[in-house]
Amino acid sequence: MTRRGREDRPAPAATRRGRTGLGMLVLGLGLGLAGAAAAGRLARSRKHADIHDASLRRTRDGAAILGASVLMDSAMEHFRGGYENRVMYLGPTMAAASVAASLSEPRLHPGGSAARVAHGACLVTGIVGTGFHLWNITRRPGGLSWNNLFYAAPIGAPGALSIAGLLGLATEAMAVRQEDRRTTGRALAALSGLSLLGESAEVALLHFRGAFHNPAMYLPITVPPLAGIVLVALAVRPHAGGQRVTRLLLRIVGGLGVLGTAFHVYGVSRNMGGWSNWRQNALAGPPTPAPISFTGLGLAGLAALDLLDNARDRA
Amino acid sequence: MTPDVGLASHGAEEAPRATAGRAPDVFSREGWVPMREHCRDEAVDFVIVGAGCGGSVLATKLAEAGHSVVLFDAGPFWRPLSDFASDEREQEKLYWLDERISGGDDPIEFGANNSGRGVGGSTTHFQMVSLRFRPEWFKSRSALGYAVDWPVDWKEMWHYYAEAERAMSISGPISYPWGPKRGRYPYRAHEVNEAGLVLARGAEALGVDWAPTPLATVSAPHGKSPPCVYRGMCKIGCSTNAKQSMLVTYIPRALAAGAEIRDLAMVGHIETGPDGRATGVEYHRDGGWHFQKARNVVVSAYSIETPRLLLNSACGRYPHGLANGNGQVGRHLMVHANHAVWAEFDREIRWYKGPPSMACCEHWNYDDDDPSRDFHGGYSFMSQGPLPSDFAGTLVGSTGAFGMDLRERMARYNRMAGLKIVGETMPQAENRVTLSDETDAFGLPRASVSFSYCDNDRRLYEHSQRFMTRMLEAAGGGNFLESASTAHLMGGCRMGHSPEDSVTDADGRSWEISNLWICDGSLMPTAGGVNPALTIVANAARIGDRMVRLAKRGEV
Ligand SMILES: Cc1cc2nc3c(=O)[nH]c(=O)nc-3n(C[C@H](O)[C@H](O)[C@H](O)COP(=O)(O)OP(=O)(O)OC[C@H]3O[C@@H](n4cnc5c(N)ncnc54)[C@H](O)[C@@H]3O)c2cc1C
Ligand code: SF4
Repeated sequence: MTRRGREDRPAPAATRRGRTGLGMLVLGLGLGLAGAAAAGRLARSRKHADIHDASLRRTRDGAAILGASVLMDSAMEHFRGGYENRVMYLGPTMAAASVAASLSEPRLHPGGSAARVAHGACLVTGIVGTGFHLWNITRRPGGLSWNNLFYAAPIGAPGALSIAGLLGLATEAMAVRQEDRRTTGRALAALSGLSLLGESAEVALLHFRGAFHNPAMYLPITVPPLAGIVLVALAVRPHAGGQRVTRLLLRIVGGLGVLGTAFHVYGVSRNMGGWSNWRQNALAGPPTPAPISFTGLGLAGLAALDLLDNARDRA
Repeated sequence: MTPDVGLASHGAEEAPRATAGRAPDVFSREGWVPMREHCRDEAVDFVIVGAGCGGSVLATKLAEAGHSVVLFDAGPFWRPLSDFASDEREQEKLYWLDERISGGDDPIEFGANNSGRGVGGSTTHFQMVSLRFRPEWFKSRSALGYAVDWPVDWKEMWHYYAEAERAMSISGPISYPWGPKRGRYPYRAHEVNEAGLVLARGAEALGVDWAPTPLATVSAPHGKSPPCVYRGMCKIGCSTNAKQSMLVTYIPRALAAGAEIRDLAMVGHIETGPDGRATGVEYHRDGGWHFQKARNVVVSAYSIETPRLLLNSACGRYPHGLANGNGQVGRHLMVHANHAVWAEFDREIRWYKGPPSMACCEHWNYDDDDPSRDFHGGYSFMSQGPLPSDFAGTLVGSTGAFGMDLRERMARYNRMAGLKIVGETMPQAENRVTLSDETDAFGLPRASVSFSYCDNDRRLYEHSQRFMTRMLEAAGGGNFLESASTAHLMGGCRMGHSPEDSVTDADGRSWEISNLWICDGSLMPTAGGVNPALTIVANAARIGDRMVRLAKRGEV
């Protein structure tokens, strides 16, 4: 046998990795979009004289925050999964579209607009995504088992994209139907209330997986569902009162989004190597982009309250 | 910044670390925690020999109840973060490799498979599988018709299993398919790796239950332990502290409660006084022999070293060794049959990822009625993830492969999966530890061990190999390979109902000397078909509570 030098050794077969380049591209694109949209938003006049317009804006901001959370979260989680299936690019891409659409101003008359199409597409993508995640869960041995619910594709995650889309569509409808605040207020209260309940259910599952090892992990499964229930109750019986408590609860929910992010940042640091090993730990630890979605839903809830309050004043 | 990975320090092996009022902080790279120290000439309440499952737990219980305790271990006091390397050869330092004479029809191989040496005992390199005994096994003779009954009720043990699982933050499934209902495991089960899913697919195809294995490594942060990083180095020592060994669970608790630990301290003799009671231990540390006085001596040195120390402590009054008037010390030594079947798959498995045994099957521990069952006792089996040189050893041992042949087989390493049993063997009086004429570096006679399988043991492991082959086949594997080995040690100084056929009573108190106790795996009257550590920990916790209660009544 002849000795072979380094140069003429055959190139090693490439080890299979995720198409990380494209993943990063999607992430970068999304960030760019979000940044541009935020800049546009800043340039806009901030004051909305009218409660209706202000609520509309608030809801869309909420949807944008939710979309941004989905964007980052799905980009990271699908990156972790190596974008093994091409449809995995859809999650972050649509979430980026959702952010952009939500930050734009709604049209005042019916008819198609890019934003409306984007919101609708997000709604559909979320539903299809849930189907994909469910398939991913059930095809593993054990089927719909705890182990698969904990570790296969997260069952509740794509739903957040649907919610972002729904919130966007709701604001489009609000923009067209300037009157009848009670109806829009009730619809928005129901939507944000149910979304809070759904989000909390997802958090409950994942914090249960983490064995509630930190007592603070109970916070997002107590306050937000409570706020969700009161919101739904308000949607059903708008005259029943309790607005003040609901408002307080929603403010706390909004705060929890920020606090939760801080806790998740800390959670990542508790993994081996902490943040200095961020490449692994940002993916292995608690998802840092996830908790802020509560802030988005809290905003939508507050907007619903404003509408209902305002409707009462006029009545 | 994290220092370089893979650099191993040898400080722990060169000189004792637990000295001058401080002991290593196992959660740091070079830190310390305060440690209470005791005077050699003043009798402490308890001297405990061996800081493994038995010794660590007992020391914690006794110290937390306010007793003065000195815990000896022959091995080093590691700081996993700085002392453990990701290198199979380097980490052989965790094993008890001092020579033992091994004989019988089926001589046991010692070292990596069954004995550790160091504070934390064998749990620094155990594979963290934490299963409970089947309740009926505590009454094997009366309920199932083989071996002997334990002098302990299963309900009491069930209570202590729960305590042990809490203390070791076991990550286990929400519902466990076998045995009576148990409370929720403190942590959720880990994600089952591909090697475990092979077991799962096979089990589902054959229609038997499987479960994610309850493991002593955390699936979320716990105190100063980060969650498991699934790098699969468990058997050679976990360098992240995710593994809940005695070293990072009970040992810190024992220290905080005021126990003193003496590392690199080999106990050579237990002294007895004119009244026949134990007075303390003679031990070798820092280059010389010393004597520590004690009101009680507990031996927790595991199934070979516990009998060896008792036999080595023979004196005029006890010519056959301590607690051995009835000749029971060293007898009824058991192992677990550790037979395995390996298979190749078309796809990549990468079985080294994650703890080695993430899925388990206890079907044959609980199914008594299957017509194919031709043996007493039971076996469980788990998915496998041997590190490369470990597996190369298995290949060489079972096929004789060598050179290019071995290399070619090892090239398929990433596409392999395997199933391995923990198979109950019967307690036999002739499977025993005695003393040899050879002496070790301390001048102490070495242990001589004799072990032979009985027919029942053989039927059991042959049955398991047939069954596991079927399962691997059902999971899509081919090109099967069988291997044989043993794991774990149990018995050697069993507890029992009467002084005729056992060494201690149910409290671990030797029948012969009232202040000489045993508390470790050697107490186990039967082996059961599950890994022993959790049972040893639970039993030690039970004995600890008993001793504290007895002490309160002045009966210690
Ligand atoms: C590779 C491996 C994997 C395992 N995997 C599992 C598993 O997955 N699940 C499970 O349940 N069990 C497992 N076990 C078994 C388990 O670790 C042991 O059964 C258990 O640790 C025994 O506890 P013990 O207290 O009786 O003895 P040990 O934990 O072995 O402790 C005995 C200690 O006594 C010390 N000692 C001995 N003689 C002297 C002396 N004369 N003076 C001073 N000190 C002395 C030794 O240094 C040692 O540290 C595994 C074991 C090994 C080796
Ligand atoms: S796989 Fe987990 S338990 Fe095993 S050595 Fe790595 S971190 Fe420790």
